[in-house]
Amino acid sequence: MMNVSVTETVSPEKWRERVLQAHDHGFVFFDFLTAIDRDSGVEVVVRLAFNDLSESISLSTSINHASLRLDSIADIFPGAGWHEREVGEMFGMNFVGNDMQQLLRHEALGLPPMRKNVVLSARVVAEWPGAAEPEIKQDGRKVGNPSRRRQRPPGVPENWLQS
Amino acid sequence: MIHSFIALLPDKCTSCMLCVRECPAWCIHLDSHTEEVTEPGARRPKKINVLDSFDIDYSLCMYCGICVDVCPFDALEWDQHRALISDSRVDLTLGITQLTSEKDSAN
Repeated sequence: MMNVSVTETVSPEKWRERVLQAHDHGFVFFDFLTAIDRDSGVEVVVRLAFNDLSESISLSTSINHASLRLDSIADIFPGAGWHEREVGEMFGMNFVGNDMQQLLRHEALGLPPMRKNVVLSARVVAEWPGAAEPEIKQDGRKVGNPSRRRQRPPGVPENWLQS
Repeated sequence: MIHSFIALLPDKCTSCMLCVRECPAWCIHLDSHTEEVTEPGARRPKKINVLDSFDIDYSLCMYCGICVDVCPFDALEWDQHRALISDSRVDLTLGITQLTSEKDSAN
């Protein structure tokens, strides 16, 4: 099992350099690369470990939504190439130096689905079960006071649901 | 305990809708109505919610357990019953009867 685990934030410019440095230090086992969409930008995270898994390091960097570009580390860890393509497809990140051809989604499908500003069409089309109120339901007649406040699904911004 | 089933204790449910509204998969459907009950000695009749139907669509449920956590009355609980195999999506929606009776009696 992992014994020592370190987390480090680096600037996007130093990303490739820092990963290469960690690789040369002995972190030669590539665990995974993924991304998180935050208000400040898309955070890319890579986790590397020693071959015997005795030590691991998590490197993360935040890229502004306006220019989602980051140097690829696929030449250092070939296995990262696939992960970078997934992040590219799901978050719209462009990894410079990697082949960014889409893996699953058709290019015409629109915005990357894991970004928080993307409206999920299934959520707009489906009726939210939480909209029902107990009061409205007696023999089709209104009994008692209906809720003053319109209920909205948690995490779904206003104006998303038409009705 | 294997978290493979969410069982319902209908007697504890007050139809407060918290589980339905917190469910990220939108897989719980609850139907209820209000009834007036007159208790002896009470000045005015009391309004209570009566549960009409409670369905969990297990074809959508991702077993996150948020409904179990948010329920203020512990009307939902984890169970290790596991028999949710079907070739029809409709059969994966379980109502009050199944959510109660298919509980694993072993625990």
